[in-house]
Amino acid sequence: MHNPFSLKDKNLIITGASSGIGRQTAIAASQMGARIILIGRSETALQQTAEQCITETRVLSLDITNYEEVSVAVPSCIAEFGKIDGVVHAAGISTTLPLKNITAEKMQPFFETNVFAAIHLSKIVCSVGNYNKSSSSIIFISSVMGVVGELGKTIYSLTKGAVIAGSKSLALELASKNVRVNAISPGVVVTPMSQNAVYTQNQEAFEKTKSLHPLGLGEPTDIANACVFLLSDASKWITGINLIVDGGYTAK
Amino acid sequence: MEDFLQLITEVLEIEDRTITAEDHFKQFDEWDSLARLSLIASIDDQYNVIIDDQTFTKLETLQQLYDEIQGRI
Ligand SMILES: NC(=O)c1ccc[n+]([C@@H]2O[C@H](COP(=O)([O-])OP(=O)(O)OC[C@H]3O[C@@H](n4cnc5c(N)ncnc54)[C@H](OP(=O)(O)O)[C@@H]3O)[C@@H](O)[C@H]2O)c1
Repeated sequence: MHNPFSLKDKNLIITGASSGIGRQTAIAASQMGARIILIGRSETALQQTAEQCITETRVLSLDITNYEEVSVAVPSCIAEFGKIDGVVHAAGISTTLPLKNITAEKMQPFFETNVFAAIHLSKIVCSVGNYNKSSSSIIFISSVMGVVGELGKTIYSLTKGAVIAGSKSLALELASKNVRVNAISPGVVVTPMSQNAVYTQNQEAFEKTKSLHPLGLGEPTDIANACVFLLSDASKWITGINLIVDGGYTAK
Repeated sequence: MEDFLQLITEVLEIEDRTITAEDHFKQFDEWDSLARLSLIASIDDQYNVIIDDQTFTKLETLQQLYDEIQGRI
């Protein structure tokens, strides 16, 4: 039986594959048949992800904001691994900082990782010979903070809103190349990132955050499954959307 | 201590009075969740010290906050 959600014979690149959402997306995509290049800084953590994948994987440990290194390492990995059918940019960093404490300098690393690296990688993948010309899919992991706000989340919101907006223009530009570009915006998902955040540090803040999600807090698998859908042929007519996966956080 | 009190005055935007080390800062009119975020971030900026939430919750007076920072520098 033909399964439109299958990722069999698809080659993917997943950034942030060493932890949380990116790791789970790799595991889920592998279970659906994809071969994957796993990107992150921690080689040990990437190896642990690779061990949980049931298909062929490559570990590419690098800092995605080191653009020169990415420009060399990613194409040579693709040349050896095979043309890319899908990218998930799940690498990301977050902060909680009131306006008073914001400086241009402090915004820089968040834009570098969450926005610039996403575009840089898309550019590399979408150059001749590096991607499947008949159908490819790029996903930027954004956040509900790219759509609505929260105290102290200005910098993070700026970066997440940027990728949602950018994905739409990119979707138009790349449509003729059969490359679909979409964003996924999670609510709070239980991962190392959210566990280190100020809003989960004390019981009271944790309960409040939880209560803002009618279906409770998310699990990495909730986002991974959304990625599988947008990577698969089941979503072949979907481009330029922001798929909100938030347990009802923004329903209010 | 003087620099520290000056920092607190600025971060909490206290305009009408002089604060002292004995003050219970969480009882200030200016105290709210944003002030808390701002204070923790400013202490990080100024002293390169990150006070975790559990410790911060226990602190009551400015003297205690000051001592906590000094102990971590
Ligand atoms: N968790 C949530 O509640 C939540 C909600 C909404 C959106 N999101 C978004 O979902 C994405 C994944 O978050 P998560 O919760 O899974 O976070 P996480 O567990 O902290 O994982 C972040 C990942 O990004 C990688 N990374 C960060 N900087 C990097 C760099 N310079 N170069 C290479 N890799 C880098 C990390 O790998 P290394 O440390 O190995 O480099 C790690 O694998 C992020 O974009 C985040 O903003 C998360």
